[in-house]
Amino acid sequence: MEKKLDSGMLQYVPKGAYYEEKDEQFTAVTKMWDGLFEYDRALFALTSILNGTGFSKGAMTHKLLSNPDVPQSGKELVPDGLDSEFERKVISYNLQRLAEKQMARAIRNLLMLAGGELHSRVNNSRTRKVILSFLFDRPCKEIDALAINFKTKLAKLVRHSLGKQDLYKVLNGDTALFRKHIGCYNALAMPVIHHLFNQVPKAANGIRGHFPKIDDYWCAKHAAAHGNIEEFIKLIPKLPWRVAMGFRNSYKLPIEKSAIMGEAKMSDKEELTTEAAVKRSGAKARKVNYNAQDLYDLWKALYYKMANDETDNIDKIAEAMEAKIKTMQKLDLGDNCAVVLDASHSMFGSDERPMHPFLTGLCIIGAIENVQDVFIVGGRWKSMDGTDKKVVFPANASPLWKGLVDAVISGAENILVISDGYENSVKGMFEHVYKHFKDTGYDFNVMHINPVFSADSKSGTARTLAEDVTPMPVGNYKYLETEFIFNQMLENTEAVKQILIQKYQKLIGGN
Amino acid sequence: MASLLETLKFVKNLGVGEVQSDEEMTVIPLVGDSLGHIAAPDYLNFTRTTTYGSMEYENKDRENPAIIPANMMVRGKLAQDHAMSGSGVVLTASKRLFENACCIESSQGGYFSGQKVDEDVLPVGLRKSLLDPRLRSKKEYDKLWGRIRTWLSGLRRVRAGGDRAHLRDFFDEPDYKEALETFAAAFEPVENQIGALIMFNGIPVGLEIMPSAAHWAAYWKWLIRGCYGSQLIKLKESGELPRSTMILPEIPTNATSDEVKAIMTQFIDNIKMSIAPMLDAIQVASQNQVDARDNMITELIRTDGGGGGDIITQDSKPVYLSLVL
Repeated sequence: MEKKLDSGMLQYVPKGAYYEEKDEQFTAVTKMWDGLFEYDRALFALTSILNGTGFSKGAMTHKLLSNPDVPQSGKELVPDGLDSEFERKVISYNLQRLAEKQMARAIRNLLMLAGGELHSRVNNSRTRKVILSFLFDRPCKEIDALAINFKTKLAKLVRHSLGKQDLYKVLNGDTALFRKHIGCYNALAMPVIHHLFNQVPKAANGIRGHFPKIDDYWCAKHAAAHGNIEEFIKLIPKLPWRVAMGFRNSYKLPIEKSAIMGEAKMSDKEELTTEAAVKRSGAKARKVNYNAQDLYDLWKALYYKMANDETDNIDKIAEAMEAKIKTMQKLDLGDNCAVVLDASHSMFGSDERPMHPFLTGLCIIGAIENVQDVFIVGGRWKSMDGTDKKVVFPANASPLWKGLVDAVISGAENILVISDGYENSVKGMFEHVYKHFKDTGYDFNVMHINPVFSADSKSGTARTLAEDVTPMPVGNYKYLETEFIFNQMLENTEAVKQILIQKYQKLIGGN
Repeated sequence: MASLLETLKFVKNLGVGEVQSDEEMTVIPLVGDSLGHIAAPDYLNFTRTTTYGSMEYENKDRENPAIIPANMMVRGKLAQDHAMSGSGVVLTASKRLFENACCIESSQGGYFSGQKVDEDVLPVGLRKSLLDPRLRSKKEYDKLWGRIRTWLSGLRRVRAGGDRAHLRDFFDEPDYKEALETFAAAFEPVENQIGALIMFNGIPVGLEIMPSAAHWAAYWKWLIRGCYGSQLIKLKESGELPRSTMILPEIPTNATSDEVKAIMTQFIDNIKMSIAPMLDAIQVASQNQVDARDNMITELIRTDGGGGGDIITQDSKPVYLSLVL
């Protein structure tokens, strides 16, 4: 097979990149998944433990589960250093890790197995175990929250796992079947099944004690259905805001949106992403915990405020960013590092992910050790009146050669160019200047990161700035390590496999 | 005869932006103030084809007329692709049907009626055919088919077929599509850019000036991709344009980094300064009115050497110019 071990396979997000339509990206990335799977199933499974997007990991899990894990034609499925259950453990580890930060994405990954996001349905015993253990092998408190926040999705997953017939039997009191599939993980979960399939859970099942949120849900639903506004308003603070808003809209309750946006429950991320909506709704501003946010989301929030001249909380966001950058794990590229950041128009990204490449570039700067100088090429600066904040927005062309000259003048030993690789100047000027410096004894390294990610960017849209500077596509600042591992993988597959086995043993456990 | 430079004097504070060059194409951005009072590009929409050879546009702006850039083309599913025979003016809050449009997909039936379309501008070679006033005004939907066939004939990857005049055979072909996207990515609009001089191998092939930077931002990609990029591919494949890239200045080995910066900056400045004599050398041979709507007049300019295009004035002041040279 054609070896195509590009880190793009771990960084796919189903949204268009600037230069490529999403279906083209998907085709390219699917080819990579198929290729690596066919080449080495164990390597494929192990690769999925590296940092990557939720979608990529979901698709890779789907690939593993939709192909039987029995040895074929003498090929060894389990390499030395791994246990026979390693695939299941990898799948479970990926799901749990994803769920810690993006539960919605973890659930969508499971839904891929039920035919979601253009995938084929996979229905086998391994799949059933993966789904049901993920949903029910956890404390009642967590199941309670999941069943409220993802009711429809969980119902779909349970129906897919059990099949219509068994589900019917379970709902109609077949306790043996319940114990076999769900009770073995959590014996108390029957009220949850009733809730998921719109049967009012029976109080006799001890629902209040184990699943208070489900109880609140049904109380709120009852109040909404009977127009008991007073009771419903009392319950709003106990409900996730989307659920409360759903009841308000379905039952046409005469309650202001602001009452729900201001009082109902929100996750840290939701508080940040709905900050503007809350303000528009007229509700009093919620206290957003900026310190709990991801660096990318903080940059996004800062740029949103800068673009809209909103000064509130801007200092808090800046402080949270500073703290985040100070404490984050950094990649050491060597001493005395300078960054040349392309702020040209194309770094704005696609309409579906506006500002994504540029924000990724900004995050990457924070994730690099020893950055002494940042040289911005192109862009349009904007200051905010009444604050000391000034940011650059992607605009104009990017004569990257100027950035390189400035970085060399600064005496940098390691120069990181964050750019889509299009010079927007006379083509070749970067390389011309680069070669001159190299040939005349200047001692520095240049690395090129391309955040205008596309699955096939190494051969497609990422241009090479100089002959000996290979562009690295990085769609998320968290994937820098992944990119470096993939770079080695191209040269030495077996050595990388050993690195991944060690990583597996460290993260998931050995024999 | 006036020189093209004199024709350009209408643009107040016209300046030159950072030169951009990729392979054989060089784009010299022209920056300046907005011209006249023209509807923002968002207000203008292609709405439908009512018969073969007709294109309807709508201007939703209630205050200003809209300009359809010269030779816009629309491509979509289950309908015959079309292109405008020239530029167009649509008055405030109105629709206008252009009945001299060209079909550019000979054996596909069907009319557009609101479905999503891909837009571009016709390749330079085809735009030049439409500089003939008789062909431009002719209300015959198949008037461009012969020229489309000829244009497609030199392209290796385009499906061969006796009477097939499908311009989309070129634009949908994956390799050409990718090449055009990659090509467009090499160029970016710069601040206050309202137009550009486009050159192949250092020879001017097009001059485009839009009413404002917003108009340039909306249409530049279609011009660079569809109009000039496609023509460049065509010329290269048919061997009509030799491969070449701009020769970069030599840097002495003992040059300091500051000197390197000065040498490269000087190189760019020299290219910028070469524009004026180039435009001065192009003479306007004729200028004839082809359309008048309210205070908007469209004239067809012909230059010596077989080039030409549209200039639109508003209250006698030019607001739009598009020439293929």
